[in-house]
Formats: sequence, structure tokens, C-alpha cells
Amino acid sequence: MPESVLAAPYETIPILDMAEADLESLSRSRKLSLGISDLLEIKSYFKSTGRNPTCVELETIAQTWSEHCKHRIFNARIVHRSNRDVTPIDGLFETFIRNVTEEINRDKPDFVLSAFRDNAGFINLNGRLAACLKVETHNHPSAIEPYGGANTGLGGVIRDVLGAGKGAKPVASIDAFCVGMPAASRESIPADRIHPLGVLRGVVRGVRDYGNRMGIPTIAGAIVFDSGYALNPLVFCGTAGVLPVDEILKEVRPELNIVLLGGRTGRDGLHGATFSSASLTSESPTDDRRAVQIGNPIEEKKLMDCVLKARERGLIDFITDCGAGGLSSAAGEMVSETGGRVYLDRVPLKEENLACWEIFLSESQERMVLGVRDEHLDALRNLAEMYDTECTVIGETTDTGSLEVFHQDIKVCDLECEFLHSAPRRTLRSEYRPRAAAASILVPPTDLRAALRTILSDVNVASREPVIRQYDHEVQGNTVIKPLGGLNGDNPADGTCIRVDGSGKSLAIGVALSPSYGVLDPYRMGQSCVDEAIRQVVVAGANPDLIALLDNFCMGNPDDPEELGALVECVRGMSAAAQIFKAPFISGKDSFYNCYESTDGRTVSIPVTLLVSALGVVEEKRHLTTTAFRRANSMVCLLGTTHSERGAGVYERVLGETGGVVPGLDPDRALELYRCFYRCVREGWVRSAHDLSDGGLAVALAEMAFASGGGVEIDLHNVSCDPALSSVDILFSESNSRILFESDVEHLGGIARCFDGLPFSIIGRTIGHHSNLVVRAAKEVILNEPLKELKLPWKNGLQRYF
Amino acid sequence: MEKRPAALLLKFPGTDCEEETARALSVVGFHPEIVPFAALTADHVLLARLVVLPGGFSYGDYISAGRFAQLEIERKLGHTLSEFIVDGGYVLGICNGFQILSRLGILPTGSLVENVGRQFLCRWVTLKTMKTNSPYLTLLPPEFELPIAHGEGRFVSRPGLAARYVERGLVPLVYKDAVNGSEESIAALQDETGRVIGLMPHPERVLYREDYYDGDLNIDSPWGWGYYFFKSIYEAVTQTGHSARQIKEEIGALYR
Repeated sequence: MPESVLAAPYETIPILDMAEADLESLSRSRKLSLGISDLLEIKSYFKSTGRNPTCVELETIAQTWSEHCKHRIFNARIVHRSNRDVTPIDGLFETFIRNVTEEINRDKPDFVLSAFRDNAGFINLNGRLAACLKVETHNHPSAIEPYGGANTGLGGVIRDVLGAGKGAKPVASIDAFCVGMPAASRESIPADRIHPLGVLRGVVRGVRDYGNRMGIPTIAGAIVFDSGYALNPLVFCGTAGVLPVDEILKEVRPELNIVLLGGRTGRDGLHGATFSSASLTSESPTDDRRAVQIGNPIEEKKLMDCVLKARERGLIDFITDCGAGGLSSAAGEMVSETGGRVYLDRVPLKEENLACWEIFLSESQERMVLGVRDEHLDALRNLAEMYDTECTVIGETTDTGSLEVFHQDIKVCDLECEFLHSAPRRTLRSEYRPRAAAASILVPPTDLRAALRTILSDVNVASREPVIRQYDHEVQGNTVIKPLGGLNGDNPADGTCIRVDGSGKSLAIGVALSPSYGVLDPYRMGQSCVDEAIRQVVVAGANPDLIALLDNFCMGNPDDPEELGALVECVRGMSAAAQIFKAPFISGKDSFYNCYESTDGRTVSIPVTLLVSALGVVEEKRHLTTTAFRRANSMVCLLGTTHSERGAGVYERVLGETGGVVPGLDPDRALELYRCFYRCVREGWVRSAHDLSDGGLAVALAEMAFASGGGVEIDLHNVSCDPALSSVDILFSESNSRILFESDVEHLGGIARCFDGLPFSIIGRTIGHHSNLVVRAAKEVILNEPLKELKLPWKNGLQRYF
Repeated sequence: MEKRPAALLLKFPGTDCEEETARALSVVGFHPEIVPFAALTADHVLLARLVVLPGGFSYGDYISAGRFAQLEIERKLGHTLSEFIVDGGYVLGICNGFQILSRLGILPTGSLVENVGRQFLCRWVTLKTMKTNSPYLTLLPPEFELPIAHGEGRFVSRPGLAARYVERGLVPLVYKDAVNGSEESIAALQDETGRVIGLMPHPERVLYREDYYDGDLNIDSPWGWGYYFFKSIYEAVTQTGHSARQIKEEIGALYR
């Protein structure tokens, strides 16, 4: 370590002399977000080396060990108690995600090409091309600065994909937002929080301005309005990419140049990783603003153009993105197997006089770190010049096994990679108590007409058109199933699809979120999200045996056993459903401490939230299926069984009922149903299809009919369902694994044979001579509504907020 | 192998649509070459038959759309583009390319400003073909659909000018419905020769049949409307002497 005392560019932190209380106050004052056991581990490491750490070392460890970078909750040992049963869980990730995936992959050896290793996992498209999807959250920054938070959230996940393999080409983006109710009164939101509507408008603009400028179509998403997010909004951004199969593997070896490509480094975004690993406080807005990065999409566009060309020309040995933790995490990760040296004074800066730890930790956007051989450097520099971006060699990989960092010729960091990347494992306690069945409050025999109208105009059901129109969802010219389609171009799609040039195949993407389910039954929420995400891509024409999943969890305080208990149950449900569908996970991410501490010491956590994204393969373009009815006099068929499952569904929430059951999953039939549906798709028997989710059959039927110009008539009597179900249940229950589809009369024989022995019913037909939605219950008309009247409130439900 | 006519696509920092535009040009018979602006020389332009300014956000479009790219073209190319046009070259600007061409002053005077809805708008529109000498539309019917995606696509000019442009045959395409507040519903503009055209809609996004937003649109053809747009230019540039009708029949035969 440095002997020099000349103008030391760093400070030494005397932790060897510190007692526990001092260590903790050090962690707080430097915003390290390290717990006492971590601090003691660090102290004992430095004790063994016989010296105190520098500020750079301490900050680097804190970033690397942060929840954001190392997923320590998902790797922790958990003692889980449910009722009286106590189960030890040897890591949620290991037990419920990795093991399950490995088991599924054994049966499908050619499908998943990589998972959990890289920035994003890859699936096989046609033997030559592979596809990946990555979804990230950017919750804490978006709460404080919605526009910038969403901006850089999308920018960050695009770089994730650009750093997957040797540089995947981003082909589509997705976004999902959870925000408070848009009509919430100003008084109900603390003065230091942004009103949900401000958050929503800000994040939509953030995604729009970054995504559109990047030339990546934003094709799918979700918005959930729930008062549980009023103080802690969630912002999920995802990007899908395509890469030749033989470019997936990347390797670091000694004597590669460490190259920093892209934008310059400044003070923006300091402590992002540790900041997002702690809860927000009422001081957050001013205190943490500098943790929010500033996005510049054109800088990233130039960087992307350069990276993709460099990869095509074989100039890249290794690449990763500069995300949370900045260089410390990107370079640290790159050299973790070999060792390496980084020279901070070579890093191009936005402003002068950055402290060395600031340079190393800065989360300035639009930067990538590459491993490049000597002989490729000139070619890379030429490309950078061509695409107007900066390319700087900032260090080299070594074989020392240590991360060494220099500033002005002084070594400011020397950490063994093995220590740096072995964060101590935590042990946590969780507890789940199933909610006692809520007292059943039923709204007296409902006016179905009014109920349907109220539900269609509800903010959680109404058309997302005002948002979708602001996103360019067709740039790159490959969006074959668009988020809006049908005769009038305003029918919502379930799964959206991107044609992959040169493969003959398309990628289908679906996302599912239903946080209200989780409040009642987190296990079933886990199941439902998997089923819905898969259903969305199956409905679009994907092969149900070629679907990969991503999981993104968000919750409040994991140190609270009850909150963690709900998470554990949700993970279990999700995992069980993935096994049922034989759908492997390829990547995932989690975000904790989505809680708000108010000035009076109150803590408000979000409901445990799961976003499941499905990435499916549509094998032929003739399989692509859209959601709007296309012909008059075709048959309307319903696949799956309807149970009385309105619990926490739209009907209950909108009409104020309670006591219902959350939708579950039939382990024996779910996959079989989707496979049979797929057989019909391949035969060309399906004209259009729509999944049943929020608002059940009634909403799905209305949405399919909105674009047709004609009408539709169904009889509830024909619906395959549990005995003695009420009309309200059949219309609004949200039971899983159900698909509504349209078929020509002549194919009915084939379809009926295909679904032999499975729950399947022909419930009605489309009509040419009127344009009403007509519902009968055993021949008696219980609803007869002009579709035009139903459509208006649905189409304009969100308009007033934009 | 037949010699394909060269199409040059200019790529500024922030240009997004060059690859799908190059794909469409290649499918109809061009030899497209994408050249980053930093590498561009006057020779690139003078050796091409068709110069394309694709869509995107050149230099971010932070000061009104296309302004920075216009200045950069003037700085680097001087009068090259005008010479190219005088010599019989074809110039196509799509979306951001249209915005840049307008600013360069090689299209009838006017500006593309923020949509009346004051928002970025991504949707499909029905376009009407007007009576002009445009070589870009010979294979297209009187009405057809293409997608738009822009925040600044509303054409404005001095009072009365837009109507005069229509009269003089300088407006090859108009929106059928009000979309962005464009005067005279102008969706495209051309110069007197018809060889220079700028349009807001994106023909390169509708190369194939499955690119329509609805599966029942124009189901008799294997191609999307964008194919016919680019094929028209190809026919004009190569002047095969085939009439539009002959070409349509050939394409039809291919499908059957």
C-alpha cells in the first residue's frame, strides 16, 4: 500500500480502531447501507491485511455488497414459518428459481442457452440467433424525480442488454408502472412526496423521450393504480435483445485492455446502489437527488451504434455495462476472475476535481466497459470516432486476482477479488399467516349494466391508448403484433410480437402484475402472474413449450418477518407455476426497501409485488394472432373452467365487495390447455383470441368486440364452470388459464376433437346485423348494450390524465 | 449479376430508421449503403442514384427537429446536394429526414412544428394520393395506410401557401383525417421535379403483409404498402420502361 503522504488523493478510514457503534455510524454517515455483520467482516479482512481501508476500498465493498448488486435477500438463508410449520429455506433464488430452472432445462436442452450468469439470459431462436430479455426496476430514483428516474431506468436496462453476451442488439422495450390512485387528493399525499399523477406523467415522458430517441420500439407494458403505491411508486423497464448464438460466451483473460466507451464521468448518480438498498425518508428529496442520474439518450444511441458495429467486426472480447456502482461494479465484475488495474486519472471527466472514490463510484450514464485486445484497439478507436463517442483505455486485466486502482500514480485500492465478491450470507426470519377469511360483503343483486360500465371505465381496466400513442412502438419496422390493433387501430393486444430478421421467427412478450391478489393470497398471486404472462404470449401465437420467464420482485422491509413471509409465499407460488408450465427462468431482479418513513416515524411499505415477464417464440408468421373479432357469424369459444374467483379482482375492488377467493391454478390441465390451443393455432383455426384477466369474461368479450364493427351474442349457460355459479361470477370471475377465441364454423368439429376431455365451450357467435353486446343466461337476455356506448368510457378512461 | 442502383442513407448521431429503410431498399432492388455522417464525403452523394435521410432524432432534435442536421449538412456538403438534384438525383426524406429537407430549403417553404395535440403521436393514418408528377407513388392506390410516429409533423407556412402547393402539384400525399393539424392535411411535399420528396409517414415500416396493424388489411398482396412505395422509386430510378400496370401484374403473379 502507498507509503506516499504527498497530497493523498484519498483518505484512510481507521476502522480497525472502531467499536461496533462507531462502525454503524460510519455506515450511516457515508451512506454505505452496510449492516453490522458486514462491517465486522470488513474489519476482520483488513485486520488480516494489517491496515485500514481507503475510502475507495470501503465504498467499493459497500457498492459490491449492496442488495442492489448482490441480491443478498434472495441468497439469504431463511427460516420460514407458515402456520405451525417451520421450513428452512437455503436461499430463495437457489431453491425456487435456479433449481427449478435447471430441472426444466434438462428436459429442454436446446432452449435456454444461458441463464443467471450474464447481464441477461438467452433463449435459442433457430440455432443461429438467440434472444434475451432483461427487466429492471428504478423505483427509488423515480419516486424523487420521475422523469429522470424513468429515463435512466430505461437507459440502464438497454445497456444491460448491450452488455449481454458480446453485445446484443436491443429490439424492443417494455415498461410497467405501479402508482397511487390518479384522483387521490393532494392532502392524502405528504408534502415531500410527488402526487401519483405527477409521478405517472413524469415516468411516461421519461420512457417516451429515452425510448423514442434510442430507436427501440416500446411495445408492451402495464400500469397498476393502487393506493399502496402512493408513497412508493414502482417503475419497471425492460429490453429484449437479439444476438448470434456464438457471441453469447465472453471471457476475460489477463492482458486485455479495459476500455471505457461512451459518455463522460461526473458527480451525477453517486451512491445509487446503496441508496436504492435503503428506504426513502422525508429527507430523501434533497439529500438523495444527486443519487439520481441524468439521462442523455443520444449519447447512448451513439454508444449503442458503436458497440454493435464493434461486435459485428469481432473487436470485443468482453463487455459489461456501467450501471449501479459505476466503474467499481463494472470493472470489479469484469476482473473478478482474473484481477486487473484501473487508472482513474485516465477517465474522461465532465467536471474537474472529482475525488478518486467519486470517479470510481459515479453512476454517470451511457458508459460501457469493454475488454479489448491490443490488436483491436485502433479499429475500435476508429469506430468510436465514426459514431462520435469517446473511447479510452483506463486499465488492463492481470493475473493477480486483485482489483487494483490507481489515482495520480498512487494506489488507492487493492482488494482481493475473492473477498470482494463473497458477501457474507445473511440469515433471515419470515412468517406467513394466511389471512382469516374476510367477512363476505356482497353488494345486493347488482345492476349488471351499471357494473359493466363502471368496470370498463375503471382506471385499471380502461384503454392504455393515451400512453401507448406517445411511445414509438414501430421503429425498426418489426413490430408484427402491435400494442394496439384491430380495424380501428385501438384494440389492446395481449402479447406483442417482434419479428426477428433472419430467423423466420418472432418474439412474443407478455407482462403480468396483480398486486391486489397478493394482499389476500401471495402464493396464488405468484401462480396467477406466471399463468397470465404465459397466457398473453400463447394467445399471440407463441409455442407454449418455448417460453422463458423473468421475475421482478419489489417489497418493503425484508427485515420484517411478516413482509418477508408474504414474499416467500409469492416466490413459492411462482416457482410451482413455472414447474407446471415447464417454463424456465432466464433472469430476474429484486428491489427492497420500497417503504417510506414519514417525519412522525411512521413506515409505509408497498404491497409485495411481482412482475412476471414472458418471452415466447412464435414459430411461423401465420401463427401470429390478434385480439379483435374479425368476422361476423363466427363462433366464440371459451377455453378453461370458470370458478368463483373474484377475490381482490376488479369487480370486488370497484364495487366494494369482499370475501372472494383469489384465482388459483389447475396443475394437471393448465399446460395441456395451452398446448391444445396452440394446435388449433397451427391448424389455422383461430381467427382472433384474447386472454381473460382483469374483469374476466365480460371485459375480454367487450374488448374483442370493440373493433369489429358488428355485435356479439353469448349465453352464460354454455360456459364451462363450477356448478351453480351466479351470472356475476361467470361474467367477472378472474379464474386463470382461460382464453376467449374466435373461429369459423367449419372448424368447430376439429376444435371440439382437439379439446376433447378438457374444459371448452362454445359460448356464442359474432353478429353482423347489429352492434350490441348481448348476454343471455339460459336464453333470458340479461345484458343488451350498444358496444359504442360501452367503448367510450373504456377508451377515454385515462385520457383526462394526459 | 445485374448492377443495382446505389442508394445512400445518411446516418447522423440519433438517426434511428436507417436499417429498416435499407432493408426495404434492398428488397426492391437497390444497393443501399449506410454512411455515418462523420465518414461522409461529397463523393458518396454524387455517386448515388438516390439519397435517403431516414427517420430518427438527429443530434437529439433538442432544438427544433432537424435544425442541427441541416447546419451540419450545409457545413460539410455545401452545395453538393443541390448539384446532385440538378444532375437528376433522387432525394427522399422520411420523418426526421423530411424535417431536415424542409430546413435545407430544397422543398417548398414551410416548417414542421409541434403537433396540435402537443404530444408525440404513434398511430396509423389513411393517406390520399394527390395529382402530382411524383415518381414515388406510381404503384400506390388513391388511398392507403401507413404509420406515423412524430412529435413535430404539423406542416405550417405563410397564409395561403399550403393551398398553392396543392394547386401546383407539390403535395403528393395528404392525411385523410385530421391527425396533427397540418395545413391542407399535408403529409408529404415534393419539389417541382418530383424527384425530391419528404414525408412524415414511415413506408419502411410496412414492407411485408404482416406489418399491417390489422390482419384483414390489403390481404390480396404479399407485400405491405411500403414495398410499393420503394418499388416505385426503383422503377423511376432504373426506368425499366415497364408501365405501372405491368409491374403490378408481375407482383400479383409472384403472389399467386
